[in-house]
Amino acid sequence: MPEYKAPLRDMRFLLNDVFDAPKLWAEMPRLAEAVDPETADAILEEAGKIAGNVLAPLNREADEQGSKWSDGEVTSPDGFKEAYQTYADGGWGGLGGNPEFGGMGMPKMLVGQVEEMVQGSNMSFGLAPMLTAGAALALNAHGSQELKDKYLPNMYSGQWAGAMDLTEPHAGTDLGIIRTKAEPQADGSYAVSGTKIFITWGEHDMAENIIHLVLAKLPDAPAGPKGISLFLVPKFLVNEDGSLGERNQFSCGSIEHKMGIKASATCVMNYDGAKGWLVGEVNKGLNAMFTMMNYERVAVGIQGIGAAENSYQNAVLYANDRIQSRAPTGPVAKDKAADPIIVHPDVRRMLLTMRALTEGGRAFSTYASKWLDIAKFSDNEDDVKHAEAMVALLTPVVKSFLTDTALESAVAGQQIFGGHGFIREWGQEQHVRDIRITQIYEGTNGIQSLDLIGRKIAANGGAFFKIYVEEINQFIAAQEGKDNMVEFITPLKAAVANLVDLTEWVMEKAQSNPNEIGASSVEYLQVFGYTSMAYMFALSAIPALEKADAEPFYANKLATARFFTKRLLPRYISLSEAVKGGADCLYELEAEQF
Amino acid sequence: MPEYKAPLRDIKFVMDEVLDMPGHYASLSAYADVATPDMIDAIIGEGAKFCENVIAPLNRTGDIEGCTRHEDGSVTTPTGFKEAYKQFVEGGWPSMAHDEEVGGQGLPESLGTVMSEMVGTANWSWGMYPGLSHGAMNTISSWGTQEQKDTYLTKLVSGEWTGTMCLTEPHCGSDLGILKTKAEPNADGSYAISGTKIFISAGEHDMADNIVHIVLARLPGAPEGTKGISLFIVPKFNVAEDGSVADRNAVVCGSIEHKMGIHGNSTCVMNFDGAKGFLIGPENKGLNCMFTFMNTARIGTALQGVTSCEGSFQGALAYAKDRLAMRSLTGPKAPEKPADPIIVHPDVRKMLLTQKAFAEAGRALVYMTALQNDIVHKGDSEEDRKAADELLGLLTPIAKAFLTEAGVEATNLGVQVFGGHGFIAEWGMEQLVRDAKISTIYEGTTGIQALDLLGRKVLMTQGQSLKNFTKMIHKFCQAEEGNEELAPFVSQLVELNKEWGDLTMKVGMSAMKNRDEVGSASVDYLMYSGYVTLAYLWAKMAKAAQDALAAGTTEEDFYKAKLTTARFYFTRILPRTKSHAATMLAGADTLMDLDEEHFAF
Repeated sequence: MPEYKAPLRDMRFLLNDVFDAPKLWAEMPRLAEAVDPETADAILEEAGKIAGNVLAPLNREADEQGSKWSDGEVTSPDGFKEAYQTYADGGWGGLGGNPEFGGMGMPKMLVGQVEEMVQGSNMSFGLAPMLTAGAALALNAHGSQELKDKYLPNMYSGQWAGAMDLTEPHAGTDLGIIRTKAEPQADGSYAVSGTKIFITWGEHDMAENIIHLVLAKLPDAPAGPKGISLFLVPKFLVNEDGSLGERNQFSCGSIEHKMGIKASATCVMNYDGAKGWLVGEVNKGLNAMFTMMNYERVAVGIQGIGAAENSYQNAVLYANDRIQSRAPTGPVAKDKAADPIIVHPDVRRMLLTMRALTEGGRAFSTYASKWLDIAKFSDNEDDVKHAEAMVALLTPVVKSFLTDTALESAVAGQQIFGGHGFIREWGQEQHVRDIRITQIYEGTNGIQSLDLIGRKIAANGGAFFKIYVEEINQFIAAQEGKDNMVEFITPLKAAVANLVDLTEWVMEKAQSNPNEIGASSVEYLQVFGYTSMAYMFALSAIPALEKADAEPFYANKLATARFFTKRLLPRYISLSEAVKGGADCLYELEAEQF
Repeated sequence: MPEYKAPLRDIKFVMDEVLDMPGHYASLSAYADVATPDMIDAIIGEGAKFCENVIAPLNRTGDIEGCTRHEDGSVTTPTGFKEAYKQFVEGGWPSMAHDEEVGGQGLPESLGTVMSEMVGTANWSWGMYPGLSHGAMNTISSWGTQEQKDTYLTKLVSGEWTGTMCLTEPHCGSDLGILKTKAEPNADGSYAISGTKIFISAGEHDMADNIVHIVLARLPGAPEGTKGISLFIVPKFNVAEDGSVADRNAVVCGSIEHKMGIHGNSTCVMNFDGAKGFLIGPENKGLNCMFTFMNTARIGTALQGVTSCEGSFQGALAYAKDRLAMRSLTGPKAPEKPADPIIVHPDVRKMLLTQKAFAEAGRALVYMTALQNDIVHKGDSEEDRKAADELLGLLTPIAKAFLTEAGVEATNLGVQVFGGHGFIAEWGMEQLVRDAKISTIYEGTTGIQALDLLGRKVLMTQGQSLKNFTKMIHKFCQAEEGNEELAPFVSQLVELNKEWGDLTMKVGMSAMKNRDEVGSASVDYLMYSGYVTLAYLWAKMAKAAQDALAAGTTEEDFYKAKLTTARFYFTRILPRTKSHAATMLAGADTLMDLDEEHFAF
């Protein structure tokens, strides 16, 4: 039975040694009120306990059991309801919430670490608070005061859960063609009718009410994405005094049979004139969703590294325990029939790949979270603008790159177990199945890559991109003279130069052929990702070099950084060359000729 | 659920136009008279029907139902599996590629590979039941006494019985030297086999009258390690003098595994409790005996990579033409519809072309490997047999590991093309990922194959076996010098062919100083080798297509698509060699520096 130990040491290293979060927090008054280093530390410690002691032990069995649908009701797997209660009682639901409505107003840099623990120990469970937090975020940003007063406090407290209803059977990536309708009612509410699919935790027994945020079209709305509005539709209507009233007119028609995250209920929701209230402006529903999406997409990237960390921990245990064949350089465990497989170079290659991608990913998502925090909490307009640009640029990379690398990690984590990796009891194949959805939902990784190169780079003439590159180049310039940084700075410099060159190449090509964007986007995003990770490892190397003798942790960080630089970073070379292969070879075949 | 359609045109292209299999059969005296083009066409056509109509429809239901083990140790296979197997046996499929003296039809093994491809794409879990018999048949035909052949081989060939290979034990998989199963001699010359074997595919089922297990075990006093292992035949039911099935032997299925995929196949824990077994081959030489046909067995697993790519490609292609989402960036392509079919989008095309490029070149690689296997067994001269054996030895680990890794990639792309629906079981795409994943693990993991390639096949022959192959590539490139249309392919191939040798030399040199360097470079080396090998095959396919177009054809689209796919492969996939080349030389230090205690705290 796999275990999970929250990677608190690495999280603290990132917050304190690499990004100096305490200083950042102290500088922003609204954050200074909410958090100090001691509080942050205590939060991490407690979250680690919930993840390790409450959530992780439920993960394996819940995958076998799954959620059960019966007559519109969904029963969550054994232990989920109690765990949800524990989670709510601990106040975790309001961690990043608006203090005005009972939230704790914590920074994403910290909330992200907590998310990693929750998602990493039990992704199916973690989706419930994640979706609730997302719905609360959108409501907080766009809802009327009345809606916020009525719903937010109970969502933060965990008494009520939230769900996001976007996809329909014929429309996922292309939300412009959704059909769900909202008819205005005399009392100012709307009657919502239509079918939504893939609604994560759309129905369950863990909270007394579920607040759905539903995308729908008003009767006279324009066609396409500009005719979509957002509605709040509660499972139970809420009386004036805040108590629960009658059941609203919608129900869960069925739940999906899926590859993974089996414990979470993925619901078909049928709305049949359900009572809903407009959130934000008419026909601005998609915009309202975008506020929330940056947070959600970073959270999905974090899901990936969380589960990959879990897989890594199990793989290390197994590799130290399983004995098989002798080390190529001579027996290591002479008293045993064979050596533990961690002596074999290729097993180490797989473990270090997992480790480097996970640690690099954790650093990168923390870095992106830093910009989310500045954008949200800074009082300096220029800083906010700068941070918003960085958030816009980095979000698709965090979502996409960290979930791609998470799948690679989990597959390696399975491979290390050999045949046992294919057997469910060991837990490693579940991580592969669970992680696989993270590359799909919240915008497939293909869509993320189009967002990056199309909307975030080409659309503004590379303005955001320049800000980022300038930051890295300044860092390089500052470090270049240091002998002990050469091994990290030289490859980083080459990688950044390549990224700049590649960006120019794509933007130029795209002017004559719009298909060049989509032809290059996925590999381009990966080049961006590997280059960013090289930056993260170089940033991490500075404190690690300073404290290398203090504790093995720092020397290990350097070993991981070296492994990344020599064995994973070179991937950008192939990826860049593939990009420059261009779009033509994708369009010589007619659809019928495939 | 993706519907399976046997890719007969592609299969024939590789057989006839790329590899000249008719010529190959005509050149082998054992096959010249039987494997005629008409006969081959008829067989493949019938095989395709069986796969499309009988076993493909059972793939999804087999995954849902899985196998059921009962109290008494018996195992029920999913609905329809047993009946389909009966039809398979009645159709004479198991005996097709076996010698006539053991009841076979004397057709080439490579033809069996073609049939196995179709079976495997249609329903891999089902195909494993007859598939696993191959190991048992190979063992008995290579090492069995005449009596053992008469008793067991004929029934395996006819398909009345199936076979298994019982190697793995709970504590040992890759390292068979430490296995514990015992074989005690009985007074009557037989042996009493005791021990536990795990991961025994098709170890117990209800599809055949008897199951013949080939078991690795140790004799009393046998030397430790790999040199103390012997092979035994252990039938599920003992066999009476007259060849009929008699009483139950003391071997039972203790449980079946809950797995990620291949749910339709029973993966058994087999408990041997003094079961009656018969020594096959010389004492203590069991592993050597197995190695003689290991390459053959691994071709079967390499094939799973191809079937994964092909099956997922077929599903994804149909969906990409049907599913509407967004408009093409170059303007609406289906203006009458609310959105364009997703095949207009470049990234969707890239995913489809990746699957297609792997499936088609993968097929060519497996068939080419299978041809070498034909020659190893039926070659008319010792020289031919030796050369084929060497090439087979080199290509097998590449085909097995590279193509199964490609299969995992391709099936994941298939899921991605489907978006959220790819994650939903009903569509069948996620099953392909789950089924494909085992192929990189069993029959020697990717890591083990990579060590086999670099350590045993390349470095231990001082690079000779690689040179023989790179010489073939070199000759092809030389012959196409001046062929303008192929020049972009040939020039890259020439460079890579040279680089392959250079990299081998460098890795070899560093391995002399530090033995960890082999394992440090091996997987990158193998993947590199795979990309170059597929580049050679794509160049060959492009050449065949070019010739056909030049000669005039009514199938212009078909041949042009080959040239296009070749261009895609060379432009967008082949650059992957660059990072493998860089990382294989990164050095073992990057792997060994971290203390094993420090991997996790």
